[in-house]
Amino acid sequence: MTIFGPLGPSLASSVTRNRGLYRAFKPFADWYADIAGYRRYGLKYDDLLVEERDDVQRALSRLTDSETYDRSFRFKRASQTSILHAELPKEQWVKPEEDVRYLKSHVESVVEEDNERSAWDNMAIQRKK
Amino acid sequence: MLAARTSVTRRAVRTFATVVDAAGVKVAAADSGEAASSVTFLVKAGSRYQNKPGVAHALQNFAFKSTGKRSALGTVRESEIYGGVLSSSLTREHLALTAEFLKGDEQYFVDVLSSFVTDAKFTRHELQEYVAPVCADEASAAATNPATRALELAHGLAFRNGLGAPLLSAEHDPVDVEAIKAYASSVFTKGNIAVLGTGISQEALSALVEKSLSALPAAAAPTGASSKYFGGETRVEGHGGPETVFIGFGATGASAAELAVLAAQLSPKPSVKWSQGLSPIAAALPVGASVETVLLPYSDATLFGFIVQGATAADVKTAGAAAVKALQGATSVGAEDFKKAVAKARFAAASAVDGKQGLVSVLGAKVLAGSAASVESALAAFDGVSASAVSNTVSSLLKAKPTYVAVGDIKSLPYADELGL
Repeated sequence: MTIFGPLGPSLASSVTRNRGLYRAFKPFADWYADIAGYRRYGLKYDDLLVEERDDVQRALSRLTDSETYDRSFRFKRASQTSILHAELPKEQWVKPEEDVRYLKSHVESVVEEDNERSAWDNMAIQRKK
Repeated sequence: MLAARTSVTRRAVRTFATVVDAAGVKVAAADSGEAASSVTFLVKAGSRYQNKPGVAHALQNFAFKSTGKRSALGTVRESEIYGGVLSSSLTREHLALTAEFLKGDEQYFVDVLSSFVTDAKFTRHELQEYVAPVCADEASAAATNPATRALELAHGLAFRNGLGAPLLSAEHDPVDVEAIKAYASSVFTKGNIAVLGTGISQEALSALVEKSLSALPAAAAPTGASSKYFGGETRVEGHGGPETVFIGFGATGASAAELAVLAAQLSPKPSVKWSQGLSPIAAALPVGASVETVLLPYSDATLFGFIVQGATAADVKTAGAAAVKALQGATSVGAEDFKKAVAKARFAAASAVDGKQGLVSVLGAKVLAGSAASVESALAAFDGVSASAVSNTVSSLLKAKPTYVAVGDIKSLPYADELGL
């Protein structure tokens, strides 16, 4: 996953751009996100992101205090359910509308900064004619 | 021959002769043939006008961070390629954003300055990652210097609000991005900015400013309440530095030349190395103690005083008493001494505007106020000073309640009344 960058490979942008394709894929995507099961353990999709990377760590440091608190609460609750070998009670499952990408925009801006830095580091300068 | 040539090339036009309005922004430039140019955006955005403590300091350190046009890294790297230096500085009244660069690169650097003023992003992560740590470092470095600390406390005592607001942001100040954004949008308006250039022609700078700052809003700038002088006494424990006492006197209204003459007369700083100054204070100073006259002029008030420092509290007491006695004795000055003091003050005023920094800090405020700013007009003020006017100034200073700050070993440092105040 990580060879494609911190967010992994995704065709989502090209699918959502095409309206017909989006309509065809949406029910399948919803079904898949539900069957993946992370919501039943009280997690959001961005909680599953591989965080053992410098860029994602920097993105995590940009979350607000309450977002960081909520994230660690979800992790604690999920590991407790894992110990109990049981899903959360159904009313505590993360609802699809709550499953927002709270970390994605931060990761993207960090990646953009890293790319810009490497571009400046490797640029060749020519004297003005 | 050489002398003649130098005098021609050094035909320094150390003056902002004209102030023109470019798109509602005041622009003043002085080109005296330097190889390097500098452009300063002087904004009336000092700590005096802030609505929350620490916001002005945070805004100063936010300078040259990411804008709509380029990121913080892009600004730094591109400026390095051009070989320019970007800096920002904050006083109680003004925020100065300065770019110094080689002649010919003005288009890029004026764009860097104006893109911060018009279209800065003020992101939360930049505040956390870059701005807040620098603010905290600067504030803690300032707190370790007892003289700086004494002056900060003295401003608070002397003026309470406005000019009395702390210059730097403390760790506990509730500065967030929204507050900085709101402050920036209130101070970055057309009437509130003056653009000062050295080593660049007036026309070139005006044209660039007109192009880049025309999008600024013309809203009214925040006006602080006019300053009032209060005075008072405070004592603060301090460790590691010299024992420090600040004895201050305040006056409202624009700074008068009389105060500059008085400061020059009382300053025990010798004009020649390894000698004793001619001030009446110098003779009474114990070895290891120092007295420094402080004259801090603001647009509508002035703080005048002495920073007295010494290794022991007893030295500080002796030196402080000598300073107070000299000030009280300054009501009657001999004609010879008065002439000397005027010459010294005149030289100090002239040499203050010698460098780029001085030009901006001394004359910039005048440009912002819309008046013609030149060295000549600054020096002309000394022509009208008379000995009786100085002694009137001294007696009116002494009539008001003094501002007294002691920083150090407060158990043994003197109280104000022990120095004869």
